[in-house]
Amino acid sequence: MKPKLEILSREELDVIYQTALYLLKNVGVAIEDDKTVKLLTDNGCDVGPHNIVYFPEWLVKDCLNSTPKEVTLCGRDPSRDLRIGRQRYPFIIPHVLNVNYYDALTCTYRTTTKKDVEDFVKVCDFLDTMDGVWVLTMLPEFKEMYMFYDFEMGIHNTTKPVCTTTLEPESIEPTYELAASVAGGKDELKKRPLLTICFCAVSPLSWSKKGCEVLKASARWGIQPAVTTEAPMGDTGPITFAGNIAQKMAEFLSGDVILQLLNKGMPVIWINVHESFDQRTSMVNLASHGDFIQACAMGQIEKYIGVPIISPISPDSHMLDMQESYELAYTLLPQMLGGNSIIVVHGLDTTRAFNNELLLLLDDMVIAARRILDGIDVNPDTLAIEVIKNVCSKMQDGKRVGHFLDQRHTLSWYEKEHRPRKDAVFEKHSREKWIELRSKSFVQRANERIKEILKTHKPEPLSKELEAEISKIRKKYRIRG
Amino acid sequence: MVDYIRLIREAILNYDEDSVKRLVNEAIEKGMNPLEILDKGLTPAIREVGDKFGKEEIFLTELLLAANACMAGAEIAKQKLLEKKQKTNKPKGMIVLGTVQGDVHNIGKDIFKVLLEISGYQVYDLGIDVPAENFAKKAIEVNADFVASSALLTTTRPQQKLIEEKLREAGIRGKVKTIVGGGATDKNWAKEVGCDFYATDAVEGVKIIRKVCEKLQ
Repeated sequence: MKPKLEILSREELDVIYQTALYLLKNVGVAIEDDKTVKLLTDNGCDVGPHNIVYFPEWLVKDCLNSTPKEVTLCGRDPSRDLRIGRQRYPFIIPHVLNVNYYDALTCTYRTTTKKDVEDFVKVCDFLDTMDGVWVLTMLPEFKEMYMFYDFEMGIHNTTKPVCTTTLEPESIEPTYELAASVAGGKDELKKRPLLTICFCAVSPLSWSKKGCEVLKASARWGIQPAVTTEAPMGDTGPITFAGNIAQKMAEFLSGDVILQLLNKGMPVIWINVHESFDQRTSMVNLASHGDFIQACAMGQIEKYIGVPIISPISPDSHMLDMQESYELAYTLLPQMLGGNSIIVVHGLDTTRAFNNELLLLLDDMVIAARRILDGIDVNPDTLAIEVIKNVCSKMQDGKRVGHFLDQRHTLSWYEKEHRPRKDAVFEKHSREKWIELRSKSFVQRANERIKEILKTHKPEPLSKELEAEISKIRKKYRIRG
Repeated sequence: MVDYIRLIREAILNYDEDSVKRLVNEAIEKGMNPLEILDKGLTPAIREVGDKFGKEEIFLTELLLAANACMAGAEIAKQKLLEKKQKTNKPKGMIVLGTVQGDVHNIGKDIFKVLLEISGYQVYDLGIDVPAENFAKKAIEVNADFVASSALLTTTRPQQKLIEEKLREAGIRGKVKTIVGGGATDKNWAKEVGCDFYATDAVEGVKIIRKVCEKLQ
């Protein structure tokens, strides 16, 4: 038996879905873009004052049925592609966000640099537990075309899938050309989509003009879209879990309808952000009690609706401290145990900062969560009856003196059952030994390990031909080098 | 000629006891000196494995499987030396070893014993639940270089202080060195009871004893 966390019954999921359909039909979605409104009304929707579009149930269901259940996020190296819907464990994608880099040794924040982003991506490339990377930087030095730069920094430093976010529709075309060059042409890119972009519906139940432009561009170019719904509880979404989930589901379904009408059969990913609004501090949090419980439900909602869900998590803590570990564990573990396909992990400070040392903490948490997901195997070999007999047969002076430390069975199963670490980031020595090793904290040890990784790990470089292609695209779109 | 030294080393590094036994027998049949097998094959190989464990490159079970394979080969070689009435190597040191009174934990002590023996030391294992005076008596009897005691419980570790007293009363404390280990002990404890050395694990214990005995010789 493999463990699984379920907190909603089938009936409860039915009710939430029915509520989403009810909202789309009766409350409607405010859509700023006239062409999108026309597309919807041409296909059976009604429109009222203020461009409020009402979606009939049959259309939503039709579009959901034509949305593929499986999606592949591709990397430069095909062996690192992520086949969502078929994987053994949830995929983990760390996110590098624009604002700050947190220096864990000095406990200070500083403005992110290009090198910080490149190093972060390199560490993600190195760690087996990290399945890709999400880059959204808006570094001040770039000024515009951020998505192009983000994608370029990503592909230069990892062969794993690189996801990006766009706030500027005009950056989609050059980034698309860049992705096509990496894939080996536009036809190849269709077979192996290398570019995933995310964009937001505006809660409650609205699509901005810009959001519609990105939906259309993504459908036109065949770029993997990730529709994001963000409705902080008690802020732009209901304070209650059931209502909040239903509203976000309706918002996602409205985006899915638009995409399917533009490009039927197009794979769509739902980025379902769980956020609470803290009434004491007026801050939106991603790791408070309410976020923990939504994290538990993500996998079930995903299986129910049949569309891959990416669910971002982020500790709210401002330091790599006990709060950080607690918040990371309580958002990551339930989401992994609930079977959510992809978990995007932000660093700290409610997504506003990232940090390299944290990746090593995350790495170990993922290994531990995967181990829980594997459960306990019960079979003749793991029951170890013969080994117990053998050990117990060793007698000396009328006492049993055997032990399991010198048994081949122990050697065969130790790593499989316990997934021990051989590096020293997590301190498991005696206190004496730890003192001998200079009594370093987790952060100090992680910092040393990060430095070692960055010194020794060299991601597969791009070919000269590809670098030349990138230069051409830069020239064509007047993107500074 | 088959390179038995290399093959024995490889078999130990693969924790393959059956192959070690077969290769040692074969090498002796082909005329190899059992002493050469011990000195050039078995001992360096187990030291190599011990070093790997010390660097945390392998797990304890791997060390013990290698040690068992090595011991099995060493037994064959020693038996052949006795049959041929050939002189064996002089022990590198005499070690009296035991778990203190009130404590019945034997695993750590047994691992230490195996590693000491395959490193060429003569070990007198007093077993578990050993009264302090027995350590002193045995040390006098065998002219020990070291008295090694293990304590896993905080309630039994005061016995290690008693061992120090018994050795002093017997008038041999100046001659014999003492080393403590086990889960209830640490460097501070060793210092507090007046013990010479503390070892975090069996491999470190062997290293300490080797260093001291080499100086004594």
